Amino acid sequence: MQQSSPLVLCVDDELVGLRVRQILLEHAGYKVLTAVDGHTGLELFAAHPIDVVILDYAMPGMHGGQVAEKMRQTKPKVPILLLSAYLDLPAEVTCLADVYMTKGEGAPALLDKLGNLIPASPHPTFLTGTVKDEK
Amino acid sequence: MEFVLFKRTMRQVLLLPTIACFVLSSFLVWQISRANSTVGLIEESDNRIALATLIEKLIVDEETGLRGYQTTSDPRFLQPYHDAEAPMQQAIGQLQSMVLPNQQHDLEQFIRAHQTWLLGFAQPNIDTIAAGGNATDVDLNLQGVTLMNSMRNNLDAIVMSAESNRNARITLWHLQTRHLLILLIGLALTTGLFIGLSTRIRLTAVYDSFRHQLDLQRQRSQELYESEQHLRTTLASIGDGVIVCDSEGRVQMMNLVAQELTGWTESEAQSRPLEEVFHIVSELTRQPVENSAVRVQRLKRVVGVSQHTILLRKDGTEISVDDSGAPIRSAAGEITGIVMVFRDITLELKTRAALLANEKLAVAGRLAATIAHEIHNPLDSVANLLYLLQHEPKEEESRQFLQMAHTELARVTQISRAMLSLYRESTAPVSVNLKEMLDDLLLLMQRRFQILGVSVSAELPPEIAVEGFPAELRQVFTNLIANAAEAAGQGGRVIVRAFPRPADVALDQSDDEGAIVEIIDNGPGISPENRKRIFQPFFTTKGEHGTGLGLWVSQGIIRKHAGTIELDSRTEGPDHGTTARVFLAYKPVIYLGGS
Repeated sequence: MQQSSPLVLCVDDELVGLRVRQILLEHAGYKVLTAVDGHTGLELFAAHPIDVVILDYAMPGMHGGQVAEKMRQTKPKVPILLLSAYLDLPAEVTCLADVYMTKGEGAPALLDKLGNLIPASPHPTFLTGTVKDEK
Repeated sequence: MEFVLFKRTMRQVLLLPTIACFVLSSFLVWQISRANSTVGLIEESDNRIALATLIEKLIVDEETGLRGYQTTSDPRFLQPYHDAEAPMQQAIGQLQSMVLPNQQHDLEQFIRAHQTWLLGFAQPNIDTIAAGGNATDVDLNLQGVTLMNSMRNNLDAIVMSAESNRNARITLWHLQTRHLLILLIGLALTTGLFIGLSTRIRLTAVYDSFRHQLDLQRQRSQELYESEQHLRTTLASIGDGVIVCDSEGRVQMMNLVAQELTGWTESEAQSRPLEEVFHIVSELTRQPVENSAVRVQRLKRVVGVSQHTILLRKDGTEISVDDSGAPIRSAAGEITGIVMVFRDITLELKTRAALLANEKLAVAGRLAATIAHEIHNPLDSVANLLYLLQHEPKEEESRQFLQMAHTELARVTQISRAMLSLYRESTAPVSVNLKEMLDDLLLLMQRRFQILGVSVSAELPPEIAVEGFPAELRQVFTNLIANAAEAAGQGGRVIVRAFPRPADVALDQSDDEGAIVEIIDNGPGISPENRKRIFQPFFTTKGEHGTGLGLWVSQGIIRKHAGTIELDSRTEGPDHGTTARVFLAYKPVIYLGGS
């Protein structure tokens, strides 16, 4: 199953955003786990064979940078996509992630960058193809 | 010399010569009375001589009368004899009473001889002749002549003794007079010398004292001159303009800065009314302002800085100044002059305005990041939902996605509206609903609270509104709430609450009816030394993350709104934390001159 459906962990305290992102990724063929804060995210990260992490930065308790640091300590190979509403995060935070992108860049950009992080990603044709046509 | 001492000297100078002259004249009187008594004695001697001479004449009369009678037997010749008898008795009586002891013997002999002559010679002769007899007996007559001679000798002896006595007394008188003269000259010289010397000593003392006083006076005037120069230099070196007026408000002195600022030279301004030289008008109304000197005259005390005044210089240009005045009092406490200090605050006002603008930008900058974040999140969701809608054939899901997109867009609108109202400037104060404003702010800052891990609760009654400038009040509360949240920190708690304050509760000197907004955090509190400086510009505890202007600007805004702002803070105990308390009147008299 891992070959066809990679497991994505989404961590974000924005409940609506998180829900929409989950739907989007599931439509794109990913399996999705969600967490509303850093602690829950780390628990899920430890408990499941996560293929890729989509991490929000600004969260109560623990910000994305701290979460990424902990994840790197346990499973340094798992790629992390830092997704933030902030435009200018400090370099010491962004360097912890493989990819840093800002919210609002659009679904195609997110799916594209996410696909690049996982070589064996599903790349659903109905999604990618349409996006490419639109552009 | 003390005045008492001087008076004593004056008294001595008067009394000493008077006493000396009195003693001298007393002595002279004594001497003169002595000389006078000598003269009396001389007169006495003269009287004796005269009496003896009179008696001698009378015995001659008696003898002559008797001879005539003897020769003629005519009783008429005997008349001088009888006439002499009574004066003789009287003269002898007088002489007896004043005769000297050494003359007593002669006088007694004379009296005896006279008696003998009268009874033993003269009377028998008269009787004989009266009886018709002859009185030419030679022996009897010789005896009469002998008696008469004896009497003359006695009288001569008395006269001689009296004359020698008189001469001796005249010699004595001369001696006394000479002594008196010598004494007079001697005493006059001595007294003159004494008076002269004593007066000289005293005058010398007075002169010394006078010279000493003169030296002191000279020294003091030198010191005074130096002190005045010192003060003048100090005054000239002061960076503020200083004008000294007399009690009527006429210019007496101006330092260089005052001359530069007003455009008047000191000589031009001399004795002119201060209003003419220091012509100030209100920045807002352009009406003449009562200057500090006039206020000092009126209030008779130091008057503080009057703000927002413009000085019209002599050449017509304008500068912003603040001025203060203080009365100059005499030792008796009367106002003898007024000193006025003022300075050019044009640059300061510009700097202040620049700082305010800077802080406003900083607040805007800080909020902009929050707002961008707030908008980006729903926009991201909307973008994702639209993407899904473009590819989602199921109607059920489409409706759900549309509903979600709608909700997210409503959030964007709400945030955008809150942001707009934050920066909407109004030129006149408007009614500001505190609940609406604070709710908006809390909404905008919600993300920040989450990141900081702070729980924020609000206790805001719905109908509480004050008059003011909403943008400025939002700036104040953004500052205070952000400070509270940062102080509370991870796991901290912030309470924002508002409640009306009745007019009779005295929180400050202001007793208007209004509202109190409290922002309470349970952070570590502010240390007492920081508390003193917390409202000063550029004071920050946040290092390079703070401008140090937030509270300073907030205080300015609240003051402009005629409100008060104060911080209560406890650094120890279970109830540590800070409470920022802002009072805003419902109907404040807003000072439009600027914050």
